[in-house]
Amino acid sequence: MNKSILQVEHLSVNYNGNTVLNDLNFSIKKGEIVAIVGPNGSGKTTLIRAILGLVPYRGRVLVNDQPVQATLEKIGYVPQKFVFDRTIPMTTGEFLKIAFKNVEPRKIKHSLLEVDMKQHENTLIGNLSGGQFQRVLIARSLLNDPSILLLDEAISEVDAVGAKGFYDIVAHLNQAHQATVLLISHEINMVYKFADQIICLNRDLICFGKPKDAITKEVLEKLYGQEVRFQEHKH
Amino acid sequence: MLDLFHYPFMQRALVAGILLAGLLAYLGVFVVLRKMAFFSDGIAHASLAGVAAGVLLSMNPLVTALIASLIFAVGMFFLEKKTSVSSDTAIGLIFTTGMALGVLLMSLKSGYQPELIGFLFGNILMIKQSDIIIIVSLSILIGGFLVVNRRKIMLLALDREMAYLAGINPDFFQLAMYIVLAVSVVLGIKILGIILVSALLIIPVSISKLISHSFQKLVFWSIVFAEAIVLTGLFISYLFDLPTGAIIVLTGAAIFFIVFVFKR
Repeated sequence: MNKSILQVEHLSVNYNGNTVLNDLNFSIKKGEIVAIVGPNGSGKTTLIRAILGLVPYRGRVLVNDQPVQATLEKIGYVPQKFVFDRTIPMTTGEFLKIAFKNVEPRKIKHSLLEVDMKQHENTLIGNLSGGQFQRVLIARSLLNDPSILLLDEAISEVDAVGAKGFYDIVAHLNQAHQATVLLISHEINMVYKFADQIICLNRDLICFGKPKDAITKEVLEKLYGQEVRFQEHKH
Repeated sequence: MLDLFHYPFMQRALVAGILLAGLLAYLGVFVVLRKMAFFSDGIAHASLAGVAAGVLLSMNPLVTALIASLIFAVGMFFLEKKTSVSSDTAIGLIFTTGMALGVLLMSLKSGYQPELIGFLFGNILMIKQSDIIIIVSLSILIGGFLVVNRRKIMLLALDREMAYLAGINPDFFQLAMYIVLAVSVVLGIKILGIILVSALLIIPVSISKLISHSFQKLVFWSIVFAEAIVLTGLFISYLFDLPTGAIIVLTGAAIFFIVFVFKR
């Protein structure tokens, strides 16, 4: 049985008196791909940010049985948006080089190869498309051999073809690096066949478990407040 | 022509000019990345309070301006962190308060104050031996800090959250950069004056951006252009007996224009 890599216990987040996350409890096993789904404003990004310690919270978050601050360098994170001055002349290689201490050039090349971006090492990051830059961010998160990858709507800026490529890359990283993946997605059909576990979130934990067990029409209706069409797949 | 290097005032001007041009150009990259041009302008203007206090108390105005800039930089950091006051508003508050305090203190001292005029418009040729000691020692200290922490500083400039996730203490380095920038700007006042000092942070990196195709080259060319601007401006102002600060800034603007036209 796989060991738990992420434990979330009684996690609550409040902003200005409003409850954004309410008493969440779940744990994720090593090597799993876990998808977080829920409507806009349901606290998905806040959950990722709380796990990273970027927002204040009540409760407990443990990564490899340790407080998250002690294991930050082993967490890969791809934010939903990365705002930077696109006029700054910085190559993809330079962008990756400053990410962590003593990053070896061969490691940079290998990370770019894994996300199919090797040919863009000398391209200015300002000249990359949204989808290409998201891949660079994934490459960046791989540099430190993370034991867990947190992807916050990492395909928000890519088209349908790019999204398929993204899920292929995530599956490859999960297989090749045994990396646990926690990702936010709006693609219910995609995560249904792709994820090992699913978290349905709308401030409260609406469901948690294997997609075929956790996702039902009733759960989706409760989650989104209306009927949602999705296609069940056989695992 | 080479005779002028025998003059001690010119030797001091060259040492201060070369050191501060490189320092401010390097910091300029950080300033442009973090969009902090207003911060440096604000600190420069607010330091008038320190200059006026120095003149009033018969102390070295450079020392009192450095102390004032330190207080303002730390004050700005905590205003941003502990209150809901935005960065721009905090800078505006410090900027105007420091200037007002400087004007008030100046009014307490009667008669013409050449030193105050020197600080307002800068005069690299009037740098004293005591100033050089301060400029050289602080430049080495700051330069060392910047070299040792260059990766952390650039990562912080690019994205605060990424810096945190890479194990960097963003608050510590942000405060450190505020202090470093404030001190460097005040040292730069000796060359360009309170009103024009931001030019040495902005112009070299702006020229460099026109021709650079990597971050490494951006930093390299920023420093090269800064040195060229200061040295060319210094010699032109000496040869034609023109105000040094203004000529340095105009030299920079002319180089920017030339590069811009040839790069089109």
